[in-house]
Amino acid sequence: MTVTVNSRSPLATPLATGWSAGFAGRFAWRDLRGGLRGFGVFIACIALGVLAIAGVGSVAGSLTEGIGKAGRVILGGDLAFSLIQREADDTERAFLDAHGAVAVAATLRAMARPSAHPLSPALTNRPADASSLAATLVEVKAVDDRYPLFGALTTDPPLPLAALLAPSDGAFGAAADPLLLTRLGLKIGDRIKVGDAEFELRATVTGEPDKLAGAISLGPRLLISEAALRASGLLQPGSLVRWQYRLRLPEPQSSDGAVAAVEKQAQAEFPEAGWEIRSRSKASPQLERNVERFSQYLTLVGLATLLIGGVGVANAVASHLARNRDTIATLKALGASGGGIFAAYCTEIIAVALFATLIGAALGAALPFVITYVFAAILPLPVEPAIQPGVLALSVVYGLLTALAFSLWPLGRAHDISVSMLFRDQVAGERSWPRARYIAASGAIIAILAALAVFTTYDHRIATFFLVAAAAVFVLLRLIAALVMWVARWAPRQNSTVLRLAIANIHRAGALTPSVMLSLGLGLAILVTIAEIEGNLHREFAAALPDKAPSFFFLDIPAAQADRFDTLIHEQAPGARLERVPMLRGRIVAAKGVSADDLKPPDRSRWVLRGDRGITFARAVPPGSRVVDGAWWSVSYAGEPLVSVESRSAHDLDLKIGDAITVNVLGRNVTARIANLRAVDWENLGINFVLVFSPGIFDSAPHSDIATLTFADGGTAAEEAQMIRALGGAFPNVTAVRVKDALDAIDALVGKLVMALRGASAITLLAAALVLGGALAASQRFRIYDAVVLKTFGATRAQLTAAYAIEYLLIGLATAVFAIAAGSLAAGLVVSGVMEFPFEWVPGAAIETAAAALAVTLVIGLAGTFGALGRKPAEVLRNL
Amino acid sequence: MNDVSGRLLAGEAVSIDGVNLSLGRGAARLHILKDTDLHIGRGEAVALLGPSGSGKSTLLMVMTGLERPDSGAVFVAGQNLLALDEDRLARFRGRNIGIVFQAFHLIPTMTALENVAVPLELAGIADAKALAGRELAAVGLAQRAWHYPAELSGGEQQRVALARALAPDPAIIVADEPTGNLDEATGSEIIELLFRGRAERGTTLVLVTHDAALAARCDRVLQMRSGHIEAPAPAESSIG
Repeated sequence: MTVTVNSRSPLATPLATGWSAGFAGRFAWRDLRGGLRGFGVFIACIALGVLAIAGVGSVAGSLTEGIGKAGRVILGGDLAFSLIQREADDTERAFLDAHGAVAVAATLRAMARPSAHPLSPALTNRPADASSLAATLVEVKAVDDRYPLFGALTTDPPLPLAALLAPSDGAFGAAADPLLLTRLGLKIGDRIKVGDAEFELRATVTGEPDKLAGAISLGPRLLISEAALRASGLLQPGSLVRWQYRLRLPEPQSSDGAVAAVEKQAQAEFPEAGWEIRSRSKASPQLERNVERFSQYLTLVGLATLLIGGVGVANAVASHLARNRDTIATLKALGASGGGIFAAYCTEIIAVALFATLIGAALGAALPFVITYVFAAILPLPVEPAIQPGVLALSVVYGLLTALAFSLWPLGRAHDISVSMLFRDQVAGERSWPRARYIAASGAIIAILAALAVFTTYDHRIATFFLVAAAAVFVLLRLIAALVMWVARWAPRQNSTVLRLAIANIHRAGALTPSVMLSLGLGLAILVTIAEIEGNLHREFAAALPDKAPSFFFLDIPAAQADRFDTLIHEQAPGARLERVPMLRGRIVAAKGVSADDLKPPDRSRWVLRGDRGITFARAVPPGSRVVDGAWWSVSYAGEPLVSVESRSAHDLDLKIGDAITVNVLGRNVTARIANLRAVDWENLGINFVLVFSPGIFDSAPHSDIATLTFADGGTAAEEAQMIRALGGAFPNVTAVRVKDALDAIDALVGKLVMALRGASAITLLAAALVLGGALAASQRFRIYDAVVLKTFGATRAQLTAAYAIEYLLIGLATAVFAIAAGSLAAGLVVSGVMEFPFEWVPGAAIETAAAALAVTLVIGLAGTFGALGRKPAEVLRNL
Repeated sequence: MNDVSGRLLAGEAVSIDGVNLSLGRGAARLHILKDTDLHIGRGEAVALLGPSGSGKSTLLMVMTGLERPDSGAVFVAGQNLLALDEDRLARFRGRNIGIVFQAFHLIPTMTALENVAVPLELAGIADAKALAGRELAAVGLAQRAWHYPAELSGGEQQRVALARALAPDPAIIVADEPTGNLDEATGSEIIELLFRGRAERGTTLVLVTHDAALAARCDRVLQMRSGHIEAPAPAESSIG
């Protein structure tokens, strides 16, 4: 039919001539002023995704600001100078004292055991089952009377530092983490021995201001005085003690510039001190790095949430346009062009998307304030809530682009809605694909989104991997949804009405299948990936490793008493294997003449250059290693300093045989030439080092030994307890780290991180639930029709419920199967490709996922269908 | 409300007494059925005539248990419909009442055969498909059994709907303007099939129509006006 419009008619303009921004805006306003009915899921999906991205960014930004502002407290000073295995010498100390107030804190690991002192009720009070814990590893922190320079130490009962740590009745005072009291079955007032010194536990530590700057803790904190440490006998040559000198600059000279100047001066005046200098602006780079990585991963989860929500957006836009087909056809009959229709509805969608993104951004911006307000008392991190304009702007851009990317397809189809539909009910031959220009525009927006995601993420490689995987899963899910619908359509006809209805609903026009599979499938695939990685990490830490790992690491074995130590161990554990090597701590300061600061190895090898690492010297190739390039030195070698480097680290640092490496050990720079490269089996948790030096360089340097002990059959708890007891008596200064405890501590930490990731990633399920809710609402009309007609011919509510339940279960099951397959594949790639240990499929994670998929589809599906079941037939039939 | 037990014993298929029903809310609430009484004998064919809005369709809804009256008594095939809950009512309807709608109301995702089999399957009849096939053949659609409603003409869809209504061999068939959406020739075919089926089974028929000629084929013609059944005109009361 041809519609002729008089060119002077007001109806002829502006749509008759195509696009007009003014009209598009007016039309959008007129259409929306009646309310946002039908856009609920659209708004919720976009707002949720934007909230996730804005929230994560705002919290991370606030945390980083908090760490920055609390830098002095976390660091314990304006500057901290950290030395390993040695104290500052007189010149260094004089330099520090000349610049301000200095507080000293020494940290080390040691063994604490209940005291047999007659004044101590500890032994009699301890529960009988605590006998196996004759001693336990503690993280000792010895402080002087200036501690802390910033912040406050809090204890229970509250005591001033002097009263807490001063000697009294033959024992030094100490404050301990409550965990120590639990482990040893002690209470306040009891006594313990650490090294040769006796301590009275006077309080528990409830707040340690500089705790965040520390490393992973393998045992509970024990706070003692510096004097007590010196009396304990733990300070032997080569003991693994970290001495930290915290410097508080006098107030008038404590600007950032002054701090930087002191740092620079220290480096210039003491180039070989080997101390690690941290300023208050970088109090805990490790923590900041972790916050940044964690937040970037969560930002990607937020993007996935937007992607999932995009399905809901596309559905909502398609439904909106379907409701407005009459209006569109009428506008066209009045002279609107297809492009004009597109412009008008696109403007409307952008307006709604902007509204949704602003809601999400506002909620995201509020998140750090809410977290601080609600969890202030229990928050372990210094969150400094603040508005993060950059983060919020980025999240709004993400939200708008996602909304457009998923709206352009249905909007493009509106271009070709036929006017003839006004004259007949069924419209045949309408295009199901929009015109090429709309497809190209969708593609361009998706490309911009992907580029934005990759280039605003710290690790481009992981972001690219994530986006490619998500896109692949998305496309595959759509294909699989089509396959599931095809199978349902051509499946053998069922005799049961209930089953037939269920299967028909899977493939009919407007079926939930594609929406549910796309949204829920992607969310679940992410959750399966995380769960499978977690399961494999847990297996690696808690299950697989201890089989081949040693039972104990022994630290701080005095080199002079090494033979006596060996004898004791052989007596106590005759069948066990003991490996003992000398260990010093050293830091790579240069390689091939290039300063370590200028070396840029890949992420996986950055740890080699970060801080100080264990080094050793040996005459023979260490067990657990094999030479893969070059040659090992002879047993009697006594020439120029040579070093053996672990092959992968060498590769990442671009080091070859013959290159020089300079290491700072005990305040002295030592340069050695690379003689060979070794492949190291890190997984057996034996003693392995990146750098092994030739004999003759460090033999006379003060050092201690470390050792591993591996029981032939893995060892029993009784054997381990006996070993600790015997060692405690003969070598009170040697620290025994039970490998299982250390692994448990790391496993627990990883478990908490992964739990946080899983919790955050569960937001994708929320998005999927929204999409499902939207799709259910869209399909409600035909569900009500079916329910009413079937009820009229004898169907009960139970039969209808069964039909819908079967439909949702089948869709949920198909989604779960794919999500498990895709998630397991992605986890396998990450575990074997990035983490580099063998992947093993963990069925528990898969079962949990299947259960989640079934629960989400079934519960939300039936809840959404409840309305259809409850409708009175007469009420519906009257209006059909 | 009148005592209906005597008439039920006398073999009434439908007994409606003193039924009142209002629909809508507030100012829009309309009193549609006003102390309506209707008694139909077993095997009797009754036509309900009346202008739009007179309450014909609403009375059919009440008669089939699709609408619950505000007051009054409704007995169908000896069963007090008001004593049944929603599910028991659905089961009773599936076995005892066949309904033919003006708009067919077939399930679009089911074939013609499956649509006819629905009430039989819901009633748990083992050979539902075979019985449905016979019913389809009886309305001349054996060759179209595997077609979906969208693939059938309006007349064919109504024939499927008729076969569906007759399939459980109900005590009563209720047809609401069954030819309203069809052309005259097709409508006549449907009416022939309806009356033939009813005659073969001796089923009670309640037919709502605007067509006086069609109504004349029934045993009794009742006029509805403003929610009341008026006394039948003498000329219309004893046709057939």
